[in-house]
Amino acid sequence: MKTLITDDMRALLGVVMAEETSYPIAASDIRRWALAVYYPEIPPPQFWDEEHPATIALGGLVAPDEFNPLAWITQDPGPDRGRRRSGAGAPRSGAFELALGVDPPEYRAVLQGEIRARYGEGPMRPGDVIRSATSITEYSEREGRMGLQLYTTISEVLTNQRDEWVKTVDTVFVRY
Amino acid sequence: MADLDLGTITEGRELPTFEREGTLLHWARYAAVNPVHIVGHHLDDEVARYEGFDRAFIMAPLEHAYAHAMLRNWMGARGRVSSLDIRLRRPLLRGRTLTAGGTVTSVQRESDRVVVGIDIWERDDLGELLAPGRAEVVVPLDGAG
Repeated sequence: MKTLITDDMRALLGVVMAEETSYPIAASDIRRWALAVYYPEIPPPQFWDEEHPATIALGGLVAPDEFNPLAWITQDPGPDRGRRRSGAGAPRSGAFELALGVDPPEYRAVLQGEIRARYGEGPMRPGDVIRSATSITEYSEREGRMGLQLYTTISEVLTNQRDEWVKTVDTVFVRY
Repeated sequence: MADLDLGTITEGRELPTFEREGTLLHWARYAAVNPVHIVGHHLDDEVARYEGFDRAFIMAPLEHAYAHAMLRNWMGARGRVSSLDIRLRRPLLRGRTLTAGGTVTSVQRESDRVVVGIDIWERDDLGELLAPGRAEVVVPLDGAG
């Protein structure tokens, strides 16, 4: 039976493939994120208005659960990460296995097929420093209209500077 | 935004919907704050067609964010999302409009909070189901949390 999943790929399951640490979250990071998600409406005040009663009741500005504090430059790794991810010679999008030295299978496109998010009790706030650890946690495959499709679950676990769990996001990518 | 009336949380309750147009104006803003999604198939119809789609399409995490926004609009600032899963059956194509909604499926009243299970969905303006899903939210009782 044809398969895209090699023994080298199976050996990667559960191995941390990337660790990142954010710079302290800035209030403007949260404001910009909320404005982008809610465009063209004004976002809820707890994401931008420090003086609003709803914000005060929450103890200050909070970030939306889905906020990504690692979206742009990170404290660790440093700024060369951006060049590696998007500049000349950067790995192709979806070539997850390359981070652990394994060649990915051939594919024409990569899409996200499922997102599963679990959140801790405390929201991210300005000043928080967030660490992430990312690993491949599952492979599966099935035939689709574009041929054999490889499903790859990437799990990202985020914690804050107090080692409190912030969230876990499992994203199932489809390569075909 | 008014606080949610906890007495109105009952199984079968339909949540207010959240609607957004699928345009490059929306998606460029999201790409600007989450640049790993500056990818051809979100911005260029030709790239999307090469990958098997009729037109450029929305970023999956933005669809996920819209489901969060729908829940937040309903439950207010004091509620929090504890989990939110969506399966992306088909993407919102450029030019279509997304509507997100949900139905309460379980209500667990505890001493200091209410835990609510919700079936969520996202459809386009042609009625196509884009993304079914499940969420759990926690709303503190008055004076708690």
